[in-house]
Amino acid sequence: MTDDSKNAGRRRFLVGSTSVVGAVGVVGAAVPFVGSWNPSAKARAAGAPVRIDISRLQDGEMLGPIPAWRGRPIFIVKRSDEILSALNEDPDRLTDPNSEELEQPGYAQNEYRSRTPDVMVLVGLCPHLFCSPTPHIELKPEPFDTEWRGGFFCPCHGSRFDLAGRVYSGSPSSRNMEVPPYSFEGNDVLVIGIDEDNA
Amino acid sequence: MNDTNNNASDSAKPGRFMGAMIGLVGWTDARLPIVRTWKTHMSEYYAPKNFNFWYYFGILSMVVLVIQLVTGVWLTMNYTPSAEAAFASVEYIMRDVEWGWLLRYLHSTGASAFFVVVYIHMFRGLMYGSYKKPRELIWVFGMAIYLVLMMEGFMGYVLPWGQLSYWGANVIVSLAGAIPVIGDDLLVWVRGDYLISGATLNRFFALHVVALPIVLIALVVLHLLALHEVGSNNPDGIDIKKNKGPDGIPVDGVPFHPYYTMYHDLPGVVLFLFVFCAIVFFAPEMGGYFLELSNFQEANSLKTPEHVPPVWYFTPFYSMLRAVTYPLLGIDAKFWGMLVMFGAIAILFVLPWLDKSPVKSMRYKGTYSRVALLLFVVSFLILGVLGTQSVSPGKTLLAQIMTIVYFAFFFAMPWYTRKEKTAQPPERVTGRFITIPQLIGSILLLIFLVVVPLMLTSTAEAAEANVDLEHVETDFDDKGSLQRGFKTYMNYCASCHELSYQRYARTAEDLEIPEEVVVENLIFDGSLIGDLIVNAMANEDSQGWFGAAPPDLTLVGRVRTPDWLYSYLKGFYADDTKTFGTNNKIFANVAMPNVLHELQGDVVCDSHGDPDPSRCELQHVEGTGAQSPAEFDATVADLVNFLYYVGEPIRSRRQEIGLWVLVFLGILYVLTTLLGREFSKDYH
Repeated sequence: MTDDSKNAGRRRFLVGSTSVVGAVGVVGAAVPFVGSWNPSAKARAAGAPVRIDISRLQDGEMLGPIPAWRGRPIFIVKRSDEILSALNEDPDRLTDPNSEELEQPGYAQNEYRSRTPDVMVLVGLCPHLFCSPTPHIELKPEPFDTEWRGGFFCPCHGSRFDLAGRVYSGSPSSRNMEVPPYSFEGNDVLVIGIDEDNA
Repeated sequence: MNDTNNNASDSAKPGRFMGAMIGLVGWTDARLPIVRTWKTHMSEYYAPKNFNFWYYFGILSMVVLVIQLVTGVWLTMNYTPSAEAAFASVEYIMRDVEWGWLLRYLHSTGASAFFVVVYIHMFRGLMYGSYKKPRELIWVFGMAIYLVLMMEGFMGYVLPWGQLSYWGANVIVSLAGAIPVIGDDLLVWVRGDYLISGATLNRFFALHVVALPIVLIALVVLHLLALHEVGSNNPDGIDIKKNKGPDGIPVDGVPFHPYYTMYHDLPGVVLFLFVFCAIVFFAPEMGGYFLELSNFQEANSLKTPEHVPPVWYFTPFYSMLRAVTYPLLGIDAKFWGMLVMFGAIAILFVLPWLDKSPVKSMRYKGTYSRVALLLFVVSFLILGVLGTQSVSPGKTLLAQIMTIVYFAFFFAMPWYTRKEKTAQPPERVTGRFITIPQLIGSILLLIFLVVVPLMLTSTAEAAEANVDLEHVETDFDDKGSLQRGFKTYMNYCASCHELSYQRYARTAEDLEIPEEVVVENLIFDGSLIGDLIVNAMANEDSQGWFGAAPPDLTLVGRVRTPDWLYSYLKGFYADDTKTFGTNNKIFANVAMPNVLHELQGDVVCDSHGDPDPSRCELQHVEGTGAQSPAEFDATVADLVNFLYYVGEPIRSRRQEIGLWVLVFLGILYVLTTLLGREFSKDYH
């Protein structure tokens, strides 16, 4: 009788400990298979900061989506005074006019969503389902918005953004377009992917 | 009152949950035979209780199959099946993909492990007569699995697109050309080109990763269904179903689950994984047998390597192919060689009908059968070893004799199994049959019979030894040495050679050099830190200057040994008859100038009148060179250390991880063994 109970305790211990150690083994064996789906060294190298000469960009022009960072399109818009004054005409039309959601680095959390008012840098992807919006820079009525004040219109699901990448109310997207980390080298060279936080 | 209610509902919860589960199982089982299948194949499949060591290898081949399927699927995620990109994509997996090196080593080691366990599994079948009535179909399905496995192994070996992938595929596919009349056209059709090319690689990839695995899995299912229909054989070769208890269960049977699955096989599986991981983490090349070193050179259709040995698991058949050297009946030897090679596999299929013995197991067969099996194993092993070596008249003769022994085992079987005197098997299964001294004696006899003929034929060729190489120590932990080596490489080698699979960033990280330092001091062509270490010199230019493009050096540390590299780099000496005014003791007439000359200074060769450079006694001319001979040796040693690191940057980390894996598996082995021992008590 005592033998039996001792046996039962021993069995419980062996089953328990083997199960626990075995489970650790299964998790350990899964690590390489899960880990191998992370971006490879090649992908990370392609995500290195990009340098762009913006000296020849004129007011009201957009550079993009050719400069890509991490394979994602980057929009760079040189905003004129006219554009800047149009930006904050009617904040009620915007979902997040003050950029309270953290879609931008701290230095771009201001009324223009940029380091300097004139240069706007955006990741050219709609936060809804990641189509790339089409730029409609000019301040003129468009078929999708008779009171269009310049911005980006997403062809996939019709989200509309102003020239600071802020989403208009009534769009499928509820968030503003992302501002990537960026900095300047002198006046002419824009560096995307690097700023004082991750230099 | 409230309390009671709570208690009642608490205790009812698990009951209700279990009830729902049982209901779900019942609902499903009425529509899909889950419970019945489980009982038929697991919990009420009664296997003989006297399985011994040899019976682990069936389940182990299942374990390896799963490893191969899973790692194979994962490898396809980063592999590129094209002639241009295949080789680079394998190095990409080895270097750039997180854990990619482990997935690749698991798969390459798994391929060899598959053949190890399958060969032992087949030997078990031969020894205990597992192919005999009523298990003929199990054997035939098993042989079909073996055949598909060889095709998988062959096509999988082509995919890395190294030199041996290419030339091995070339040789094997060319066998199709030996078929009379249609051979040449068939050959072009199989290759999809006039030589092995990207077209061949692409179709082999499709077959290797899609078509053949499906066939393989189907055959494994048939193998197991046939087995579970007639029941497992056992070391005594007697039918346990003839002796059933009052409950209808064989007296000598134990339920496959949980007895074999949990208590008997689990420790065996863990022990296997221990050995398997030891190879994966500490010797993935297995001395060049699992991963052949010349295969770390990219395929080159214009240059055949000096030796094109097949991977070890094909070598017995390769030996037979080479052993046939006589034309016969007006058809050339190539055709007969192919016939013998495929015949050696084909004859295995008809084995069940060649064995006329009244008993199954070698335990009760007579002397003839035992000697025949011993000689068969000896012939297979000798042919296997010979297949890894280059030919000589003595070795060819030995291979011819062993080929005859191999076939004699089958062709004489109907005769010797009928003639010999057999013993009467017992009514009930028995335990251990041979004693430990007998076991050791048999192993020693086997080794003796294999080794002696090989030694007799190899003595004649010991003369072809290489030049003595100078030894150099490599040490991954000596970051200073690696950093100096990297600097020497960038200053003296990088203008002509490339490390085109290795990135600056990875090198900086592994060598513990800050990235800014690399960018400022070691990158001369404006490359970014994340870029591959490719050079500015266009290949066409160098081809014009040197007659051949300087080879990529990323893998030179794996293809060549550190000792070779060290001796080679120190082996340059003045020789006015050569284009660059230099020759090399280790690599005669090499089309490379001595780029380290300004450091080393002048070296002359005192050859004592012998024109062979390898006989040179190298003499440094005193007072020349920026470094003293001792300093120069240290510079070269650092450079070699660096090149050896670049060959496999993960090497040291792989061994660190391996140690933890082995400790873990050791603990798991102890636990599963104790568990198995404890619960096995219920069945004896």
